[in-house]
Amino acid sequence: MIRLNKVSKKYKNGTHALYDITLNIKEGEFVYIIGATGSGKSTLIKLLDGEEVPTSGDVIVNKINVGKLKKSKVPMYRRNIGVVFQDYRLLPKKNTFENVAYAMEVIDTPTKVLRPRVREVIKMVELSDKSTSFPGQLSGGQQQRVAIARAIANKPKILIADEPTGNLDPKMSDDIISLFERINKEEGTTILIVTHDIQTVKNHPKRTIEIASGHVVRDLPEGLKDEDIPKDIEPDVYFEQTAKLRLDEEKKQEETEELKEENV
Amino acid sequence: MFRRFSRHIKEGFIGVGRHFGMAISSSASVTIALFLVGFFLVITYNLNLIAKDIEQSISLSALVDYNITSQTALDTLEKQILSIDGVKTVEFRSKDDEFTYYVEQYPDIREFNEYYRDQNPFHDAFLVGVEDGNELETVKNKIAAINGIASVHDGGSNTYLLINALEKVRIFGGVLVLALAVLAVYLIYNTISITIRARDTEIWIMKNVGAKNGYIRAPFLVEGIIIGVLGSLIPIGAMIALYLYAFNRSDGVILGVFNLVEPYPFLLYLCLALLGIGIIVGFIGSYLSVSRLLRNKR
Repeated sequence: MIRLNKVSKKYKNGTHALYDITLNIKEGEFVYIIGATGSGKSTLIKLLDGEEVPTSGDVIVNKINVGKLKKSKVPMYRRNIGVVFQDYRLLPKKNTFENVAYAMEVIDTPTKVLRPRVREVIKMVELSDKSTSFPGQLSGGQQQRVAIARAIANKPKILIADEPTGNLDPKMSDDIISLFERINKEEGTTILIVTHDIQTVKNHPKRTIEIASGHVVRDLPEGLKDEDIPKDIEPDVYFEQTAKLRLDEEKKQEETEELKEENV
Repeated sequence: MFRRFSRHIKEGFIGVGRHFGMAISSSASVTIALFLVGFFLVITYNLNLIAKDIEQSISLSALVDYNITSQTALDTLEKQILSIDGVKTVEFRSKDDEFTYYVEQYPDIREFNEYYRDQNPFHDAFLVGVEDGNELETVKNKIAAINGIASVHDGGSNTYLLINALEKVRIFGGVLVLALAVLAVYLIYNTISITIRARDTEIWIMKNVGAKNGYIRAPFLVEGIIIGVLGSLIPIGAMIALYLYAFNRSDGVILGVFNLVEPYPFLLYLCLALLGIGIIVGFIGSYLSVSRLLRNKR
């Protein structure tokens, strides 16, 4: 479903966000991408939804090489991808139903299809009783549910969530992740959650990919376990430490290999 | 297709309603610009009419040699003059007519002048009307070159100066109208840019769910057009009221000699022009600002 082949991204301002990333994510998979702020997670999302193009390498999604996609083809491509952000990005003057419907209206979905689908996704996110409420009348968790409903309204094959629990308390965070699990199961949507909310990741173990300084430093198919991260340390500090360790290890390994080659 | 079109129109109106203050301030800027455009259009159009009046009233006086007296020779001269490009009318004035005209200019000494009628020093002459004041000099030289014409006279160098001055004023007016239209585009561009920035989330959502750029752009274009139309209403009303007032007050004549353009259909065209300029600048202004934003986001 998603294949990144030696993907590097360097911005015009000189920032090197990703180095030689190679990844495979299967259809229907549920994956966490964890890492410290500035590790390259957001760049990865931008590459996946076609907002940025890789400097080198290929980003293949649904057999489409996203980096080589013509600008005019990007909108059609995006219809297969739903995105949820930490700050919800709801329209304050539209109620829950209208906010969700908006995503379908702007791609010309006929009203006959639109209304039942909007009701269906609002029910799925358990907000049927809040259909006529405006964002200002909803809690943070409820607003995030509206944002999720909007992201899945057009039945995307992939749902990407960037720090979806960043503004929520642990209980709400748990509920939101459970909701993603249900969407993954019921709709068959491939889910990618970018986060540094370690506790939530541990509570709902799924394949976890750790990115540090633009490199994939760990890919844990069984998910993050207690022994993977010590309890008495802030996740960001831990990420930075492990990233440094792993990069140093990689460097040492490269140097050893170079020495071996020289000896041969 | 129709559903989408009506949706864009509806969204455009909703957009104006939601950002009413912004839309009004933008319309007000357009109003000022269009008021000036209208004012200069009125001036330029009336100057055009005055220039035409002057050009049409300019005539050349071609004096015939004394030795040409036969009707056949005079007819031939008239035909030769008429065949020149740019000549509109040719009127023959006999030396006797010229003398009578001269005598009538000085009624106090009419008898004294009449005494000399037998020794009439005037020439037979052709009064030549030209099609365009700019061609006056060329026509004059061509007539002067005809055999049998003693000399050709015009209103003097002041005539040319006046024609040139009017031409320059017309060009200046045109440039000013164009500059004001560009200014109006800039004002709308700025306002729509601010509105768009305020609606970044909406655009972000549209882009993220896969709306095409044309679809994203359409409501903003409608909004720009509405702002343009709103901005043109006051100038249209003001131009109608002011022009009718000025026309009625002056009986359609200024400086005692120059006619003002008749209000109908002139005012109708003026209103349509202002409305058209309003719509076009609204469209261009919003198109430019949305395009700039969409260009920045893939």
